[in-house]
Amino acid sequence: MHELSMAQGIINAVLETAETNNATEVTEVTIEVGRLAMINPEQLQFILGVLIENTIMEDAKVNFEEIPAEIECHDCDFQGEAVLDDSDHYAPLVKCPKCDSLSVEVLNGKDIVVKNIVIEKPDDT
Amino acid sequence: MHQVADVEVAKNIMDANKRLADKNLKNLEEKDIFCVDFVGAIGSGKTTLVEEIIDNTDYKIGVLAGDVISKFDAGRIEKHDVPVVGLNTGKECHLDAHLVGHGLEDLPLDDLDMVIIENVGNLICPVDFDLGSHLRIVVVSVTEGDDTVEKHPIIFQTSDVVVINKVDLADAVGADADKMVADAQKLNPKIKVIKSSLKEGVGLDEIIQTIEEAMNN
Repeated sequence: MHELSMAQGIINAVLETAETNNATEVTEVTIEVGRLAMINPEQLQFILGVLIENTIMEDAKVNFEEIPAEIECHDCDFQGEAVLDDSDHYAPLVKCPKCDSLSVEVLNGKDIVVKNIVIEKPDDT
Repeated sequence: MHQVADVEVAKNIMDANKRLADKNLKNLEEKDIFCVDFVGAIGSGKTTLVEEIIDNTDYKIGVLAGDVISKFDAGRIEKHDVPVVGLNTGKECHLDAHLVGHGLEDLPLDDLDMVIIENVGNLICPVDFDLGSHLRIVVVSVTEGDDTVEKHPIIFQTSDVVVINKVDLADAVGADADKMVADAQKLNPKIKVIKSSLKEGVGLDEIIQTIEEAMNN
């Protein structure tokens, strides 16, 4: 629902890194999206496509990778990857795989991370 | 001639908000101010609840009233003689820690002991944005339909308190308030659930008491 502000943050991060590395073009961008972030990668891709027009990342291929949900269970102390029940939710319920409890703390899986970019740059830099 | 390079960026887009939220919290704690953040759908009763808390407690309260484009909520709250800053998000569906940080700059923090943040009406996007508050209360009214809680699990899993409001209208709209209570408790066994009818003054004392308990912890 807030793909626009996320996309702007992503583009700023990419262009900043590209500039630091004297890039003339960004050809590939890999973004990690947490399974539990309230972001739809398809909508994110759409808005990214609009915002990167006329920048050096205009023709970049955008790859999305998923960050799995990791939890700590308040009931049985399990730590690790959660069970995601998306039988009737697109945004899944996060459950402990060991005891089925919903009383869990999410340790990982909510973030949006610009992982890496592939750039072209002049030979002599 | 060009060369191709694979460059690590490793930039977490959510980190910027989290860092600012931590800064807001530190700023508030240095001044010994307790901060409550209200989230909930449009028309759930957030503004009325803020007004009732102002009128029924002796705390020196300042309010950050989030709204997409209007000033109506800030205008309503202003009439209760408390400092209020309206935060317009313009195109966004949630408040973020950056906007709240600027809002705090415009409140007379030295004269306050509580800051109330009223988020934009939305049960989805605020989930991703910590603001730096001590307590998050989600307000949901029976008139939204008694499946509203189970349809929006994450906001109920990440809030500390849920106020199920307008229970006096449950029969009129064919909603089962107890189902909403059960859904919230199933999703978040730790959440404190309070049924209220702010129009009739029901539940307000318990809400204030809950805020005070959190304040003293």
